[in-house]
Amino acid sequence: MFETRLNSVLFLSVVALALTASALGSYPVYLMSLAGINIIAAIGLNLLTGNSGQISLCHSSFMAIGAYSSSLLTARYGLPFWLAIPLGSFLATLVGALLGAPASRLRGIYLALATLGFLQIVQIVIEEFADVTGGVRGLNVPKATFAGMYVSEYVRFLLVLASTGFAIWSATNLLSSRVGRELNAVRLSPHAAQALGVPVDRIRLTAFALSAAYAGLAGGLMAIVVGFIDPGEFGVSAALRQITFIVVGGMGTVAGSVIGAAVLSAMPELLRPVKEYNDIIYTLILLGFLTFMPRGLVTLWDSFRIQIARATSTKEART
Amino acid sequence: MTTTLALQLAIAGISVGSIYALVALAIVIPFKSSGVLNFGQGEIVTLGAYLALILTQLALPYPIVLISIVILGGLGGVVIERLLIRPIVKAPEFTLVIATFAIGVVIKSSLSVQFGDSPNSIDGPFGSTPIMAFGLNINPTSAWILTCTLLVSTAVVLFFSRTRLGRAMRAVSVNTEAARLMGIRVETVYRWSWAISTAIGALAGLLVAPLIGINPEVGQLILRGLLGAVIGGFTSIPGAIIGGLSVGLIETYSGVLIGSSFKNLVPFLLLMVLLVFRPQGLFGTGEFKRV
Repeated sequence: MFETRLNSVLFLSVVALALTASALGSYPVYLMSLAGINIIAAIGLNLLTGNSGQISLCHSSFMAIGAYSSSLLTARYGLPFWLAIPLGSFLATLVGALLGAPASRLRGIYLALATLGFLQIVQIVIEEFADVTGGVRGLNVPKATFAGMYVSEYVRFLLVLASTGFAIWSATNLLSSRVGRELNAVRLSPHAAQALGVPVDRIRLTAFALSAAYAGLAGGLMAIVVGFIDPGEFGVSAALRQITFIVVGGMGTVAGSVIGAAVLSAMPELLRPVKEYNDIIYTLILLGFLTFMPRGLVTLWDSFRIQIARATSTKEART
Repeated sequence: MTTTLALQLAIAGISVGSIYALVALAIVIPFKSSGVLNFGQGEIVTLGAYLALILTQLALPYPIVLISIVILGGLGGVVIERLLIRPIVKAPEFTLVIATFAIGVVIKSSLSVQFGDSPNSIDGPFGSTPIMAFGLNINPTSAWILTCTLLVSTAVVLFFSRTRLGRAMRAVSVNTEAARLMGIRVETVYRWSWAISTAIGALAGLLVAPLIGINPEVGQLILRGLLGAVIGGFTSIPGAIIGGLSVGLIETYSGVLIGSSFKNLVPFLLLMVLLVFRPQGLFGTGEFKRV
């Protein structure tokens, strides 16, 4: 319940951002767009890793599939971006289900290995089919147009914002639905879940497909916001960065994804003076949270909430 | 394909394969004893390569460089095990996978900050003039790598079957609690398994440097090493060696048979197929479960 309340707080602050952003310059708007994209990707990964309990080292690959397919649909077949991005996300979902079918039977390190192998396959395919994808030199994404007019940076930001809102809303609803409870059941005790009639393998597969859908959406948005994509953007370090988002924010909660991705998206800006140490600092944060605060920043909200409860009613706090 | 070409390819395959075999060995040893798969092992290899660069630039003779790298590599493993792995060895598998991965990233980024991304190289101990034998060209560095791999593998196999510590490691890998009750110091076993593993990893870095150069991306080797370990069944020492050698052979032959653009795909497709249909590998004895 408090989880839901935290989500509505986050949702409202997102809306507030939209209104203030119009007063800001182009660069902050761009950065906030990237933060929104990170939030969408983190929400997807958290459903898979945080809720269904499956390790994935290839979340960035689904972003790549969304980004490349939507850009190519626009560039080659002239599809408008508002059609290409959902199609890209749909394609990522299909590939996610395809990977999920065998992967849902693997556990622990075997799953980590399989997803790492899948990431490499996607990278190699992008690099080797250079005449379609642009290879390692990257791909210029056609500018998004609507009714013959270029879509401005601010409008693209609003689009990201709306998508982020949709992602938060849909994931929150999903988690409080039957599927959400099944995802958690599969993580907490696959045997008990199986015994209670939860189709464990199918739920694991569903988690893969769902997480890929969010990643594909994030990838498509990233393509039109950045205007240029290359395979380096979607490599192992990107996958690890997304894992850092959910570990720092908090595994298994939508609020965790939002907080982790939002806080860490600001990091590269704060660390601009020590740019070359970026990866090291990022990774040390990840290691620190894994060791000392494995449940992430959302636990701060929990303890804050408990203190409020104590202050308002000592009677309730005791129970 | 002529016989000479086929043999020439076999030699090339075995020489890269022996590096993969060393990496696979370095992955399997701590996994056997502590159930921790070190995803940062590739960066230990990179570290070994850079150590080789530094020590060679100090104009030290090759045997001293080799011995120092093995010792420093082993010490590095002891430090990593004590500071980073032991506090979380009982944590969920997710934590261990991500933590070892993260250790690798920290090493790689530190090296890249310190030395830049430009490639360096060192010479092999026996120059690079190919040896001609039976009408085949043999690179002396490759021959040296193969020799070292065979020596290391033999030493590891003997270590596990003959020495007290090696047997203690096997006992721990079969049943940690029972081994502890029998008076085996499990922590010592963990420490030594990491030391041996990182010493082998660093040695692999020294050996491979003349072939592929020294840059922060050397650690990519781990993917082939992991595939070798998967083929070998993850818990088998001879399996890891044969697995690593087969990865080298598969890679080399597929490069010639199906063209260079898809040759990189083959190992990973094979990895996926193996994981799905035979996760215990070709030499393993049933799935390894960490309870």
